This record gives sequence, C-alpha cells and structure tokens, in this order.
Amino acid sequence: MKTLMNMKRKQLVIFIAMVLFAIVMIYPFYFMINTSFKSNAQFLGASGHSFASWHKLFHALPVGRQLWNSTVVCVCSIIIILIVSTMAGYSLAKLRSKLSWLFFLGIVGAMLIPLQSIIIPAYINASHVNLLSGYWGAIFLYSALGTPFATFLMTSYFRGLPDDLIEAAICDGLSYRRVFTKIAMPLAVPAVVTIIVLQFIQIWDDLLVGLLFIQDPNYRTITVGLGALSAGRTTDIPVLMAGSLISAIPAVAVYLIFQRQLVNGLTAGIGK
Amino acid sequence: MKAKRRDLGHQRRRVGVLFMLPALALVSAFLGLPILQAIYYSFTQWDGITAVWTGISTYSHELRDPIFWRVLENNGLLLIGIPVAMLLPMGIAFLLNEKVPGWKIFRSIYFLPTAISWVVIGMVSLRFFAQQGLLNGILKGFGLGFIHTDLLSSERGALLAVSITFIWSMVGTNTIIFLTGMATLDNSLNEAARMDGASNLRIFRSITLPQLQRFIQFSFIITVISAFTALFSLIFVMTGGGPGFGTTTLEFFIYQNAFSRGDFGTGAMLGVILFLMMAVLGIGQLAIMRSKE
Repeated sequence: MKTLMNMKRKQLVIFIAMVLFAIVMIYPFYFMINTSFKSNAQFLGASGHSFASWHKLFHALPVGRQLWNSTVVCVCSIIIILIVSTMAGYSLAKLRSKLSWLFFLGIVGAMLIPLQSIIIPAYINASHVNLLSGYWGAIFLYSALGTPFATFLMTSYFRGLPDDLIEAAICDGLSYRRVFTKIAMPLAVPAVVTIIVLQFIQIWDDLLVGLLFIQDPNYRTITVGLGALSAGRTTDIPVLMAGSLISAIPAVAVYLIFQRQLVNGLTAGIGK
Repeated sequence: MKAKRRDLGHQRRRVGVLFMLPALALVSAFLGLPILQAIYYSFTQWDGITAVWTGISTYSHELRDPIFWRVLENNGLLLIGIPVAMLLPMGIAFLLNEKVPGWKIFRSIYFLPTAISWVVIGMVSLRFFAQQGLLNGILKGFGLGFIHTDLLSSERGALLAVSITFIWSMVGTNTIIFLTGMATLDNSLNEAARMDGASNLRIFRSITLPQLQRFIQFSFIITVISAFTALFSLIFVMTGGGPGFGTTTLEFFIYQNAFSRGDFGTGAMLGVILFLMMAVLGIGQLAIMRSKE
C-alpha cells in the first residue's frame, strides 16, 4: 500500500515536470499564434486581437506564390532523391560487385561534407551553367545533399529483404530490373515514406541554399522570403510572426501526420 | 544451364553498376567536384572569376588573423553548450520512459521543434531575448525586475542567446535518440542488480549507461554537427553574426567572406577547414565504433 502511494506521488511529480517542460517547448508557438492576431499597436500594449497583421503580411510577401515555390522545390527534389537513392540502395544491397564497396565508401564519405564547404564552388559552377535563374539550381543541390543519407537508408532497408525472394523471381524469368520495380520497390514503401518526410522537412525549412541558388525573387521559397523579410529589419513583429506561422504550418502538419516515419529516419543512423 | 548462370551473373553486375550511376553522377557533380574545387581554390586568391595561385600563403595569412581565432573561439564556446543539449534531453527521455498518463502527447510536443525551421525559431527567439521581450517579462513577474537583461547587445551575451536557442531546438532530436535507446534496454538486468542490493545511481552508472553508449555517441555526433553546420539560418536571423564578431561561427564566416565580401578564395579555404574538422569527427567516431566491435 505504501509503495502504491509512493508510486502515485512519483508519477505526479514526473507529470508536473513534463507539463513544465511542455510549456517551455510550446510557448514559442503560442507566442507566434497570439502575436500574429494582433496589430502592431495591439502588440505594443493596446488590448484585443485583429487580422490587421495578416493583411499586412499578404501585402509584404507574395505568400501564395512562395508557398507554391516551396512545394515545387520540395516535390522535385524529393522525386530525384527517391529515384537515385532507391536504385543505388538496391544495387548496393542486392547487386553487389567488386565496385560496390567503393561506391558505398564514396556515398558515405559524402555524408561528411558540410554544405558550407562546397557551397561556394557549387554556386560558381551553377552560375556558369545558368542554373541560378529558375528552380533547378536549388533542386539539384538539395537532391545531391539528400542522396547520401537516403541511399544509406535504402541500402540497409534492402539488405533486410531475403535473397531467396529475388532468386526465386529471377528463376521465374524476371530480369533484375523487373525484380526492382515489381518486387523490391513495393516492399520498400515504409523506407520511402521515411525519406519523403525527412527530406520534406529539411528542404522546406532550409534558408542558405534557397537564398543563394534561387536568384529570381519570383521563385523564392517561403522560408527564404521570410528570412529576407526579417533581414530587411521589418520592425513589425506581428507581421513577422504571421509569416513564421504560415511558413511553419506545412512542415508541422507533415510532422504530426508522419511522426513515426520521422523518428525512424532520425534514428536510422544508429544501426541495429 | 551453366552458361545461363554466367549470363545472369553478368547481367547482375551490369545492372548493379547501372543502378549506381545516377546517384554517383548527382553526388559527384554537386558535392564531389565542388569539394575538390574548394581544396584547389583554397590555395588561390579567387574572386569568383579569376583565381591566382598563392599556395599555402592563404592559410598562413588566415592563421595569423586574430578574427579567424575569434571565430574559432565562438565555435569552441558553442561546444560548451553540448553537454546541456544532451543531458537535458536524456533527462526528458527518462521521464517519458516512465510512461505516466499522457506521455505520448508530451512526446509529440517535445519533438515539435524538429519540424520548425531555424528561421522561425530565430525570429521567435529574438523576441524572447529582446529588451521588452519575454525573458525580462518573466524576471519582472518573479519580482526580479532589477535584473534587466539585454543579451543581444553584447558579444558574449548574444552568443549565449544563440546557444540557449540552439539547446532548446536540439531537445526534440536528442530526446528521440535517447528514447529509442531506452526502448532497447534490458530491464531484467536492473531487476537482478536490485536483488543484489545495488542502488539506483549504481544501476544507472553500471548498467543503463553502458547499454546507451551507442546512442550517446550518436547524439553527440548529431549535436556537434548541428552546432557547427546547421546554425547559419539561426545566426542570419538572430544576430547577423554580430555584434562585432560575437556570434560569427566558422560556417557563418564562410558565407560572409564569400557572399558579403566577394573573397571566394578565403571562403573556400575556411570551407576546407570546416570539412577537415567534420571529417576528423566522423572518422574518429567510426574508429571508436570499430574498436568496440
């Protein structure tokens, strides 16, 4: 009986601690939402809420256009990452040859390259081949940055598929290519979803690549638009908070829906 | 039959190489080639158009520049925050692991910052630390109004503000890592140790920690990599590297050199230094893991 009481008290203490932590973690979101529904005067002291800052935001930023740009960049990059990483992962896991370990080393080695170390030459190269005027410079760089880890993930996933399954299909007369599209890929859906979620959040939230590799303001992503707005030292804080909120919503929605896949992706590097 | 086997083996190798090519081409063109170029250009004076070979002198010149050391010092100071950025989430993961009612909702809340961009985090954080911001509001609320903080206006203060924001936003990722680790713990060991009269602290030190070692290493690597290579947007939005060089870390210094000052050669060189630092970290990590196996 006494231990039960202790147990309950312990649980209560933990519960209170978790509530306090939760407040610390969630307060910024409350602040963002609350502030965005105030005019600047209301933020500075006047009472009440209004839509004034949202109106101003849509004047200051082409929000719809930039959300669309973000979506295009994310979707195209993710498609490229998926195509190249599933193929490479399948090859590294199931079509091993003497060259495989070399490829694997190169891909894993590329994971160690920080973006800042390559961004200057990559930027100059892209400007030479006219990749900075539309979406493509950013799309290619995001794809290249996402491919090493995605390949790593796909390789370990495909390694888990039994070899017998592939052997059997080959004996039935399927080519290695058909086995990939008809058997391996349908089984790889969980890993593919993990890559999509991880990359979507990463690309959607990125500033540096978008800032440098998308030179035409019409093609700017929402995160870059927001970064530029704040660097322009807009002092109207409610407007910035409205912008922050709208830019955060898509990634947060993806996170809330696909939490499990995101967690799988973040912890995949630890191995079993 | 044998001929068919050989044929299949041949086909397998061919398709294998073929399937590697797109990934290889993409990574070589946008990561491999640029890192080689960066290494080459780090030995030149380069404005983005013409490069003049200067050999090792770019490096020796930079190594004598006090600003360079000031920047590295900032990186070093950021490292001080890393134990906090790991221990706090470890504690949170332990609490979550007790599975009190509602723990799943708490878990979702703690992970939330993982989905938010540094731009947004920086913008909110800026308001938190501002003179009329929440931090001073809280201090006032607790009757501590005489402590009026203005972190962002001093060099060290601004770096502290950036560090605190960094720690806050690492909580999600590191909590995920430790929680995953705790799910793999073998509880029967704890029971056995308790039977033998071991204290909780002793159990934690001798049984729990060793089992978590791999996860602690992973969290350490992720946290250091984030501290050194992921804070660009945060710094861009919060402080712009200032005041002075107060919050200019190596990654931000690269951007400043190349894209604000047009000194691409120095930028490339600093990029190579950053790459070497990360490579040493990565290879060191690999070596430790190998030696354990």
